[in-house]
Amino acid sequence: MRNRSFIKHYYIMLLPGMVWLLFISIIPMFGIAIAFQDFNPGQGIWKSTWIGLENFEYMFSLNDTKTIFFNTVYIAVMKIAGNLIVPLVFAIMLNELRLMVIKRWVQTIVYLPHFLSWVILSGILLDVFSYTGPVNGLLNIVGIEPVLFFARADLFPFIVVGSDVWKEFGFNTIIYLAALTGISPSLYEAASIDGATRMRRIWHVTLPGLRTTIVLLAVLSLGNVLNAGFDQIFNLYNPLLYSTGDIIDTWVYREGLLNMQYGLATAVGLLKSVVSFVLIIVSYLLASKFANYRIF
Amino acid sequence: MVMVAMMLLLAFTSACSDAGNEDETAENNTTPGVVEEGPADPFGKYDQTITLRYGKEVDPTDKSLPAGDTPENNQYSRYVKDNLNIDTKVTWQAATGTNYEQKVNLAISSNDLPDALVVKDTQLRAMVKAGQLEDLTDAFNRYASPAMKSYMEKTNGVSAQAVTFDGKMYAIPSIQVQSDGVHQMWIRKDWLDKLGLEPPKTMEELENVAKAFVEQDPDGNGKNDTIGIAGQQNGSRLYANFLESTNNTYGLDPIFGAYKAYPGFWLKDNAGNPVYGSILPETKEALAKLRDMYANGLIDKELGIRKAASESVVNGNAGIFFAPWWMGYGPLPDAIKNDPKANWQAYLLPLDADGQFNAHMGAPSTVFVVVRKGYEHPEAVVKMLNLLIRDESKFDISVPVGHYPLRVPMSYMDESEYSAKALQEVLAGTKKPEDFTDPGYKLLAADIQNVKKVKKEPYDNMDIQYWDPQADLGVWSRIYSLLVGSSSLQQDYNKVYSLLYSQTRTMESRWSNLKKLEDETFLKIIMGAAPLDTFDTFVNDWKKQGGDKITEEVKEYVK
Repeated sequence: MRNRSFIKHYYIMLLPGMVWLLFISIIPMFGIAIAFQDFNPGQGIWKSTWIGLENFEYMFSLNDTKTIFFNTVYIAVMKIAGNLIVPLVFAIMLNELRLMVIKRWVQTIVYLPHFLSWVILSGILLDVFSYTGPVNGLLNIVGIEPVLFFARADLFPFIVVGSDVWKEFGFNTIIYLAALTGISPSLYEAASIDGATRMRRIWHVTLPGLRTTIVLLAVLSLGNVLNAGFDQIFNLYNPLLYSTGDIIDTWVYREGLLNMQYGLATAVGLLKSVVSFVLIIVSYLLASKFANYRIF
Repeated sequence: MVMVAMMLLLAFTSACSDAGNEDETAENNTTPGVVEEGPADPFGKYDQTITLRYGKEVDPTDKSLPAGDTPENNQYSRYVKDNLNIDTKVTWQAATGTNYEQKVNLAISSNDLPDALVVKDTQLRAMVKAGQLEDLTDAFNRYASPAMKSYMEKTNGVSAQAVTFDGKMYAIPSIQVQSDGVHQMWIRKDWLDKLGLEPPKTMEELENVAKAFVEQDPDGNGKNDTIGIAGQQNGSRLYANFLESTNNTYGLDPIFGAYKAYPGFWLKDNAGNPVYGSILPETKEALAKLRDMYANGLIDKELGIRKAASESVVNGNAGIFFAPWWMGYGPLPDAIKNDPKANWQAYLLPLDADGQFNAHMGAPSTVFVVVRKGYEHPEAVVKMLNLLIRDESKFDISVPVGHYPLRVPMSYMDESEYSAKALQEVLAGTKKPEDFTDPGYKLLAADIQNVKKVKKEPYDNMDIQYWDPQADLGVWSRIYSLLVGSSSLQQDYNKVYSLLYSQTRTMESRWSNLKKLEDETFLKIIMGAAPLDTFDTFVNDWKKQGGDKITEEVKEYVK
């Protein structure tokens, strides 16, 4: 009896989320139809002309399509790797700090950028990396010619990934720190009694203790792989950087909203969704295999 | 994912609002007494207050509105209310430029339109195609003031053609002065004087002057921080094109002109067939020179990357930029606030190898006022524009006239040159104010009255020390633009028009890709990120990816 009422409460708590999902994610799915239409806003979805796969054919004929898919995956994978490794290393280092005051200070400072939007941060980045900015000032001191960072397509992915990791690592560290508190101190005591050095303790106690968390985060981020960060790239890029910086989202935005190519943009967006869907399934299977993570 | 969801949501709402609109239209058709015959009073005040909702473009840097006034409620909206009994309401507002365009696109694609809007050519076409617009033929014929009609007629039907589809008029076009399309060389004459140089006439001289500006510390601050030629900002145009043919500030148009290159324009080749200017050898030649100049540091290093191109002009770092006649309205007021000695002067330079200045000319109408299908008072926008034309000269322009609801520029196409000449003649004493009687030059009477407020003697010397901007910055903006910017337009120069100023059918789906290809390639060539011969690859790709087909369509159109 007691159990059942518990379950009922869970369902009530689920309700707002389901309603949100219905209106924000499921109902708009009907808009996919636009990908198969010569969409005319005045006529709406019901009356626009159906053109079959024409949008998809044009999409595959464009050189852009290959480029934006490659860029999206490339930038996203690098971001995922960076956002896993850097906070992990940082959390372990913080964990080894014995002075609580310093630990708290450091923690607070590094997670601050998380709360700034990319609109603001991109302005700062553009200034910092500008031709007369501080970075070039430093390069000048070491005797390197100034670099026009935002004209260099080859450097752009690194700026994007680097700044994203810088913005988020402090915040992601919190997850690991939380997981670290779950490791029983008795394990460390046992290890030191056995004569383990500090590095040994990290290797044999801390890391295995974090294993589930690491795998879980890695696997879950797979489903997000095609979201390489619209806000960030949109605020930083220019035509010189299209070849390495243009991602699916920025492209869809330009074609769909700026150039009013609704059908084409929806087609590309749909392809992205399909790929994302497959990745989510795969990551779920992986999560259940390696981290014992199951929803159902 | 978020983007996809947004696109989809958008589409869904459009499907919903679609049904709503139909009902309204149906209702409207049954309302009796809407259609009357014969001419009507262009300035007639409504008996009962009517409401007009519109989307507004707002310049976020504009601080001119007095306390308590808003973009929705200001001296201009109250003027409209008092004189016509039209209550204008702002449904949404967006920042000038791309932001506003995007907001309009969003409104079009979601079919969620305010009663009236100011739109661009491509948007007008999309809206006509989508059947979202009210037919304004009757409203225009019955309510347009004689002044508005005469402005339209002076364009030889070009403006009427731009808004007429299947014999119906779907928008009120702007009628802009043609000098909005002519991009001149603005140069710091105080820097020239300091270095003992003359305004550069040829490309070679331009290079020398730019080099001197960069290397010889013309601002005398002892730092190596000056820019020769300022460039356009991120997201702006390297040169004007047939769809956006006017007001291209900080673009490099005159340099292309010096090589008889007109990228972005549709031209006739020797055989008389249409050809796209961007794929011609002259354009490659100009690009080669620009690439060279960029590599030598004569053009702003941060060309195409800067957030605001005006920055370097306002801060007094740049010595040359290219722009139309109206720079006195901006950025120069800010530039002289920072440095009262910044003596910016305008010339039709540099010249081509034959000693001629080549200018590409803009379309007379580039923005349009449209009315949503089903709005009960389509004539309201015509009346508002009538009122603007009649009374513009009376307004206190310390609050920019851009705050007038649904304002589009309307004037004779030669207004700026004509006014400049008139002012010169009045100042020289060869003509009297009474000699200028055509009320169609709507601001001229006020200009003549105000000119001596801001222009000090000697009247024929335009250097900045012979001006008094502090006396009235609003008046100074206009008079300086006319006497410095437009005066040079009285000389002879080669006017090059595009064969068309709007999109053909295939362009609707293919142009954005071709345009992107062009922007990316040209910028890369100039900035040295790609070899010059990328140009040839570009031409091939351009032709293959729809360019040839579009050229055929242009040929059909021109016939």
